[in-house]
Amino acid sequence: MKFLCIDCDTAMKFKDVTRPEQGSVTAVFECPECFTEIAMYLNPSETQMLKSLDLKLGGNNEAVQPMQMVRSQLETAKKDSFTNISSEVTNGETAEGGKCPFTSVISDAFDENSEPTPEPETSGLKWTPEALERLERIPSFVRPMAKMGIESFAKDNGHSEITGEVMDAARGNFPAQF
Amino acid sequence: MKSYKELPDDAGSNIIGQVTAQANRLSKRLSSVKHTIAVMSGKGGVGKSAITTNLATALTLKGYSVGIVDADINGPSIAKMMGVRNITLEYTKSGILPATSLLGTKIISMDLLLAEDDAPVMWNAQTQKDAFTWRTTMEVGALREFIGDTEWGDLDYLLLDLPPGSDRLPNVVELIPNLGGVVVVTIPSEVSHLIVKKSITMARDILKVPMIGVVENMAYYVCKHCGEPEPLFSPQNTPDHVFDEIRLGRIPFDPKLSLSNDSGTPYLSEYPDTPATKAITEIAHKIQNFFNT
Repeated sequence: MKFLCIDCDTAMKFKDVTRPEQGSVTAVFECPECFTEIAMYLNPSETQMLKSLDLKLGGNNEAVQPMQMVRSQLETAKKDSFTNISSEVTNGETAEGGKCPFTSVISDAFDENSEPTPEPETSGLKWTPEALERLERIPSFVRPMAKMGIESFAKDNGHSEITGEVMDAARGNFPAQF
Repeated sequence: MKSYKELPDDAGSNIIGQVTAQANRLSKRLSSVKHTIAVMSGKGGVGKSAITTNLATALTLKGYSVGIVDADINGPSIAKMMGVRNITLEYTKSGILPATSLLGTKIISMDLLLAEDDAPVMWNAQTQKDAFTWRTTMEVGALREFIGDTEWGDLDYLLLDLPPGSDRLPNVVELIPNLGGVVVVTIPSEVSHLIVKKSITMARDILKVPMIGVVENMAYYVCKHCGEPEPLFSPQNTPDHVFDEIRLGRIPFDPKLSLSNDSGTPYLSEYPDTPATKAITEIAHKIQNFFNT
């Protein structure tokens, strides 16, 4: 699928994606010229189809795990079906694609059981450990938007790193406490 | 306003790239497999899985390196028949290590992953309502991972035990475009022949997959008193000529074969002199000749 900013006649770029909430994923696209953003909502059936195909919105630059779809999606699997006998976690092979700067967030988006792992550098901004920890405390359904907002605030105010202080300064713009 | 084709990409998801990467992983894994064989029927209950396991064992006993993919995602039985149900799969950085039978046949099956004997395959989803829209896709994805993410090593033969129905073979052919051939299993009944003919048409005429041949299972039984073969099904039944032309062999019914499958022990090595063992071994020999190995 492709999105066009009609005003600029320019292809919009993928920006971010939320974890599934009530089975529905939201993807945000942005015009690279006027920075207009739009949100695309996938209904649960569309979200499920993407999961079934083991495809990631925004691309996938993460190392491919053996049988990652079955291991993450089989609900009736026995506990500890697999034992890792390798010292390395990944196979070093990387899926094609992934032009999006928010790869880690996107790749996690379909894994509702995984721990959220914001990527500090994907937006061009570094997150300190303290800031990341506070980000984790934001309810999941608003976390992606809050993250974008904090990064946007940081950029607008000339910060290259998101610290607790930057979050304190940005806090007034958000309903959620962090 | 720009048209669809004038926009450079899919906004960064690179779906085509992701699908290509999946296909490349599968292709890379299959490059170490000499021959892939789909065992199918169309009809349920004719003994596909029993034939698959015993043909795999026969080829293993001939000294070949053999693997089995239990492609019956919702009704997996290969792990039990091969005596490997209770193992825990191990994985390394390059893939899942398959279960290995007593004689060395490698196996991957959904049965190795399920929590309980009575646990059906259920996929994580917000709702199971309308699951028909995505469930088959999920199953094909699972099959792709079974074939492509298992560390088979170098194999002479990889057998795929398909579920009943002729609808899964097209999925297999999409995953394995150079599928080596198809073995079709039937029993000597008109009902079975009626269904199995559709599978033959699908494989040979529509998908153009090499037809290795038809195995007639439970073709007769050997009278334990006089040693004469007796028909197990209707003696009036005359098989369609299509089966005569491509028949690989006829396997007699033997309760011991069923018992071996239940206990997960290799029938061929436990009962090396039975008529069924001889028939299965002869069929394996014909498969070997089919590939000129």
